Amino acid sequence: MAERIGVYVCECGPNIKDAMDLDEVVTFVQGLENVVLTKAFGLLCAQEGQELIGKDIKEHDLTRVVIAACSPKEHEKTFRQCLEKAGLNPFLLQIANIREQCAWVVKDKSLATDKAKAIIHAAVRRVAYHEPLEVKEIACQPHALVVGAGMAGISAALTLAQKNRKVYLVEKLPCIGGKVACYEDVFPSLECASCILDPILDEVLHNEHIEILTLTEVQEVLGFYGNFLVKVTKKARFVDTETCIGCGACLETCPVTVKNEYNEGLDERKAIYIPYAGALPNVAAIDKKHCLRWQGEACSACREACPFGSITYEDTDQVRQLRVGAIVLATGFDLFDPARAPQYGYGKVEDVYTSLEFERLVNSTGPTQGKIVLRNGQVPEKIALVHCVGSRSGKFHEYCSTVCCMYLLKFAHQVTRQLSGVSILGFYSDLCLPGKEAQGFFNKISQEGNIQWLHMKEPDSIEITQADGKTLIRFTDVHGSPREVTSDMVVLAPAMEGARDAGAMAQIFDISQGAGEGFFAEENSQIAPVSTAIEGIFIAGCAQGPKDIQSSVAQGQAAAGRILSRLVPGEKLALEPVTAEVDEDLCCGCKLCVGLCSYKAITCDNLKNNVAINKVLCRGCGTCAAACPSGAIKAHHFTDTEVSEEIRGLLRQG
Amino acid sequence: MTGKPKIALYWCSSCGGCEESVIDLAEDLLTVTAAVDIVFWPVALDFKYKDVVAMNDGEITATLINGAIRMGEQEHMAKMLRKKSRLVIAHGSCAHLGGVVGLANFYRREDLLSRLYQEVPTINNPQGILPQLETIESGRKVKLPDFHDTVKTLDQVVEVDYTIPGCPPTPELIKEAMMMVLEDRLPPRGSVLAEKKALCDTCPRRDSKPDKLRITEFKRVYETEWDPEKCFLAEGIICLGPATRGGCNARCINANMPCRGCFGPTDDVRDQGAKSSSFLASIIDVTDKEALKKIVDAIPDPGGLFYRYGLASSILKGKMTRGRS
Ligand SMILES: Cc1cc2nc3c(=O)[nH]c(=O)nc-3n(C[C@H](O)[C@H](O)[C@H](O)COP(=O)(O)OP(=O)(O)OC[C@H]3O[C@@H](n4cnc5c(N)ncnc54)[C@H](O)[C@@H]3O)c2cc1C
Ligand code: SF4
Ligand code: SF4
Repeated sequence: MAERIGVYVCECGPNIKDAMDLDEVVTFVQGLENVVLTKAFGLLCAQEGQELIGKDIKEHDLTRVVIAACSPKEHEKTFRQCLEKAGLNPFLLQIANIREQCAWVVKDKSLATDKAKAIIHAAVRRVAYHEPLEVKEIACQPHALVVGAGMAGISAALTLAQKNRKVYLVEKLPCIGGKVACYEDVFPSLECASCILDPILDEVLHNEHIEILTLTEVQEVLGFYGNFLVKVTKKARFVDTETCIGCGACLETCPVTVKNEYNEGLDERKAIYIPYAGALPNVAAIDKKHCLRWQGEACSACREACPFGSITYEDTDQVRQLRVGAIVLATGFDLFDPARAPQYGYGKVEDVYTSLEFERLVNSTGPTQGKIVLRNGQVPEKIALVHCVGSRSGKFHEYCSTVCCMYLLKFAHQVTRQLSGVSILGFYSDLCLPGKEAQGFFNKISQEGNIQWLHMKEPDSIEITQADGKTLIRFTDVHGSPREVTSDMVVLAPAMEGARDAGAMAQIFDISQGAGEGFFAEENSQIAPVSTAIEGIFIAGCAQGPKDIQSSVAQGQAAAGRILSRLVPGEKLALEPVTAEVDEDLCCGCKLCVGLCSYKAITCDNLKNNVAINKVLCRGCGTCAAACPSGAIKAHHFTDTEVSEEIRGLLRQG
Repeated sequence: MTGKPKIALYWCSSCGGCEESVIDLAEDLLTVTAAVDIVFWPVALDFKYKDVVAMNDGEITATLINGAIRMGEQEHMAKMLRKKSRLVIAHGSCAHLGGVVGLANFYRREDLLSRLYQEVPTINNPQGILPQLETIESGRKVKLPDFHDTVKTLDQVVEVDYTIPGCPPTPELIKEAMMMVLEDRLPPRGSVLAEKKALCDTCPRRDSKPDKLRITEFKRVYETEWDPEKCFLAEGIICLGPATRGGCNARCINANMPCRGCFGPTDDVRDQGAKSSSFLASIIDVTDKEALKKIVDAIPDPGGLFYRYGLASSILKGKMTRGRS
């Protein structure tokens, strides 16, 4: 192999110069095979140093360069650019780290001299086998994916939806708006929720840059910041969203009735349904699990009833591949299941409700059209509001769910407004009222109605049972005394947890989750609250932790801002040039490598019985090359020859 | 002189199986012998050393040498035959990779000699005499061949033009190699005359191999009953098929035994043993240290398993010794 190698030994001020005998090193290097030029220089990284190298490359026709200096982490880029400017492929460079790995750690001068010789010898042997590599560019994807169409996801989508940019808003339910769409009023303004939400949802529905994918879930994510490939499955709705106007004619004729999960199971719906009055998009959907057609029966009642011919039994689930540059996960929260703490009587005592159930009960589109009534239809005279169910507890969640005090106050207001003379019992052990509005809200609501505050010793010093047709509440008060009251209705404020399927999402997106509570882990809770450890994947809203609408919106917009500032349309993305490649003639199709690639860059062609590596996805980690039993995979820049020549160089020199 | 191509066959450190594989050509042996003149084949024909020495350099068209090189006499013969032959073909795993006899490289020369001539219970050697290079026998000086420090592959001693791999090679491969010589259609010099791809490519159980292979336990064949249709690795039985050149007709697999690697690595692998342990390590699916140790400990003799045929040709060569130090 006749290469023309130039070796430059940097003095690095006194750093390298004083630690070894540089003359001896230079003399040694001059005698090495293929070395045509050896120079020691004061500071190679300085302008003059770089110019010298550039000039020599041209004058001496150098085909390879070795820089014996500091760590490649420090200046490999600098010197690669230097080669490139001089018309030499930047990968025909090898750095011999004789500073961090030699001068700084070997005290004895003659030992340091020997070690420097060995390190440079290794680099000289290796560099002779370097191949020129090409840095390929692809256009970065300016589009974004937002998962979850609650307040956080919607805010992110609206902020992202701009010229030259498309936003895919993926929602697993048939309607958008998240939890807030199920509320009657919102704290602290006490404005009606739909008054705030509907104009926003309308904007999302009609924004030409946003494509809403309802009934859709993410299956797989490949790629990296600027170039993600996301596989989603859109479940069949069996109703044409273009022509259905949500008239509801079909709902009347459908013979199947099931519990309505959109009203927290408090009433019933049909197998073809609109989740709740006012749900957006206002389009019906068929629930395949319950529809008679999928039980082998020949029903077509809804198709016959539909005046617009919108029923499409032929629909099938669609798999789509979305190319996006960045992703916002805004999958929100679910509530702690209070049945896990039997002391609250949930599921056993008749009129014990969760807060989300109460939201539906008090909602004018809910199961009772907004009338607060007991299960037997009677109007309650006494309503107990129980704070911190599963929050701030040694047994369940240590954290405070942040919004419960506030929404229980909202409930107190709604109860007082509707039922004059009702008495309200507030069971709490501490109140969480931070920020500029909460305390004022508390003051206002406490004066408004007949609220009796019952201060418990601990957040869970309470037991709710049914006795003689009454709901009996035993608790320990703040002084440690046992007390007992009765109530007609009990509303629990269960802790907020990450969405039920957040675990599966975390796996798909390869991000981490807090233990037990299911929220996604942020990169840094103080200074990087909406980014994750994976570049290009952001989190916002209650998916990140418990919070109110205001903070959810702020996080959605923050995540969008981070994306807008870096993912500029038209910008190019440099691909990793150090990748792995499969030699088809050698690959025996053993498929061992396929499952090992963390970036899912390897796919198997079972017909051809071999594999292929996707150049865009491969990050050059080399795992596959090490595993390939046939030696069919070559990890560029770390080929067996390069590495073994380097080792030989290290070992053969005394 | 008939003008037919001249062929020689010779054996060095080997078990004789490779010679047998030539006999296994059966009727085809007659076709081959009709087309060539066999000028040297100590196992079968009575030609003498001096007959070959008397030949011109390059006079023999091709010489097949089987067995590894351990003795001075073997090295001498290999070099002599090299000179006399146009082509030297390494025949079988021992000539190719060192083979099973190459496993001796795990032990030092002195240890081997003292074990064999002084320690094994069946030896009767009260004076503890070890083999000498020279001895006086009935007043005559007798020379014995030198016993080298390590076992070498044929190509570590002389230039080898082609290799027929296998322990032993299949008769089909031998015949095909002979035909290539006779019909002058040999591939580039240095080629191993078998498949280019690893055994998995032609393995009859190929389709039963899972897309994602993961192993949580290594089983040895005597410890388990396995599905005779299914990929051995999928059953947790170590099979070196993915790390071994194909071309053997999957003889072992068809006999329901996993591949042990006798065809050696593919062209782009330097060290079959290292590659084998590295590919197996990468599909072990546990992270817990204790559990890992358990899995790895289930391979009682990794050296013997992964380097069964390739120790002498490996990066280790003879640098790692066992036992007494
Ligand atoms: C009872 C109650 C009352 C409240 N009242 C108020 C109030 O009055 N004022 C206030 O400021 N805050 C209130 N909050 C807090 C408020 O609900 C949250 O701040 C807000 O809902 C957070 O919005 P989000 O988008 O993060 O999550 P969510 O509202 O939970 O929305 C998440 C969306 O993501 C979807 N999703 C989940 N998983 C997936 C998936 N895998 N794929 C696709 N889509 C998925 C969900 O279907 C949902 O549409 C209340 C909370 C509770 C529990
Ligand atoms: S080098 Fe191999 S394992 Fe690593 S990213 Fe590329 S294809 Fe995947
Ligand atoms: S490990 Fe090697 S031989 Fe096996 S499938 Fe991958 S590339 Fe092909």
